[in-house]
Amino acid sequence: MMPLFSLNNVSLFYGKAPIVRDINITFAEKRVICIIGPSGSGKSTLLRTFNRMNDLTPSFECKGSVLFDGHDIYNNGTKVCQLRQHVGMVFQKPCIFPKSIYDNVLFGVRQLYRMKKIEHQQVVEETLKAVYLWDEVKDKLRSSALELSQGQQQRLTIARALAVKPRVILLDEPTSSLDHKSAGAIDALINNLKGEITVIMVTHKLDQARRIADDVVFMCDGMICEAGTSKHIFETPGKSETKCYIKGEEINVPIKGFVSSQVIRLKAEGY
Amino acid sequence: MIRRAKGVIFFSICAIATLIAVSLLFVIVGVIFSKGISAFSVTFLTEESKNFGQTGGIFFQILGTIILITSAGILSLPIALGTAVYQTEYLWPSFRRAASIVLYALNGVPTIIFGLFGYAVFGLLLNVGVSWVSGTFILAIMILPTLTVSIKEAIDSIPVKYRESGLSLGFSKWKLIRVIIIPHSFFGIVTGLLLGLARAAGETAAIMFTATVFSGVNVPRSFLEPITTLQTHILVLAQEALNPQARTNAWGAALALVMIVFFISIVSMFIRSRIRLEAER
Repeated sequence: MMPLFSLNNVSLFYGKAPIVRDINITFAEKRVICIIGPSGSGKSTLLRTFNRMNDLTPSFECKGSVLFDGHDIYNNGTKVCQLRQHVGMVFQKPCIFPKSIYDNVLFGVRQLYRMKKIEHQQVVEETLKAVYLWDEVKDKLRSSALELSQGQQQRLTIARALAVKPRVILLDEPTSSLDHKSAGAIDALINNLKGEITVIMVTHKLDQARRIADDVVFMCDGMICEAGTSKHIFETPGKSETKCYIKGEEINVPIKGFVSSQVIRLKAEGY
Repeated sequence: MIRRAKGVIFFSICAIATLIAVSLLFVIVGVIFSKGISAFSVTFLTEESKNFGQTGGIFFQILGTIILITSAGILSLPIALGTAVYQTEYLWPSFRRAASIVLYALNGVPTIIFGLFGYAVFGLLLNVGVSWVSGTFILAIMILPTLTVSIKEAIDSIPVKYRESGLSLGFSKWKLIRVIIIPHSFFGIVTGLLLGLARAAGETAAIMFTATVFSGVNVPRSFLEPITTLQTHILVLAQEALNPQARTNAWGAALALVMIVFFISIVSMFIRSRIRLEAER
């Protein structure tokens, strides 16, 4: 089976500085993939490469090839809008438009597809059920989405991204600004999406990755240190850095450009 | 001790400066109010002027001012919106500053120059004479920088997460502008428009020999006819130094103009505070 994403010798730059180097990896379809690693290891930069959100930074450059369904997405002929319809994204903080809950869910759908009103209602119900928000908001769909709690807002943000029926959804630390209970609700909805669509998530929370991931990618110092199934990474990690990181110990990583005696100490956060 | 004294002196200088600035406004408004209020009445506002403005009211002058600034606003708005959107969304970041400098420079052009330019283009080149259309174009160009800068500020204050969300849903640039950028800068657009209108309402030099006449006109029946405005009315009546009734009517017209400008400015300030609320969300 052809992999969904295939990265070959990918290096990502902001200006002249490489943020991510020499990435070679493939992702299968309909899996939940967690990218873990210390702060500054290039996780978010890598994630934003899959739907070319990095393009918003003028100095960004991608070397190597990023294949989505066999097509190089950094090729000149790529229609970025179409790519992003297939590869949706949700960011750290919930983003709610000052509209009703109903209109927030349909925000993308209305612009991208022609649908009848009755179909709109179906989409709203389906997606809100998929993110476990339906029971909480079904009686107040027309009231302002700004009245919802932070956790509900983040689930609504995910619902808006899911409503346009993407094949992949990218989540950039979606629970980092949420309390424990709200984060649990997001974990449950990701579990609910398993087997339906591909989820690629950046997270600092190792327990979250352990609970929901099928595959785990461990990044360190702009490179992939180790990747494999969740079981492999958390139970029988091959590399010492991975072992240290998942135990919550400090890892010593020499950073290029520093004098060798200077060593930056990185520690797993939120563990 | 000396340091403390210096602090007190500096504070006093600043306080006096503020006092002068604020009291100036009160003095001006107070004088206009006290001198104009005797001419002010319902009939003064609703009657047409008679006897070269010495008797009668200022109804058509008020109407003319409103017609002229509204038409200027309608003409200027799409150009300003297009300029602001082009500047923030399409122009290379390194050219954005240059574009802003050009706009500020345009804002600094003395208004009489616009009048002269308008006279050269409309009066001489196109030969449309003193007309409503000339005034509309001249005022539209004059308020263009104010309006553009205000819209640009509103667009700049749209949270980045709105843009990112739109783009991550697969919106094209045009969709992003139509669905997110323009609706979320709505209050900025309205504020800019009102500030521009307030500026246009106070303008005399640019339009006095291109668009407005003092008497003989009520409402222009075509774009090529001249228009009468409060500003020109005040200018001409004020020159009638020997006639006390004419001067009283000039103050009355001035009071009406100040009230229009204040009203527009206060509404725009109110809307501006809404933008801040929107941006903080």
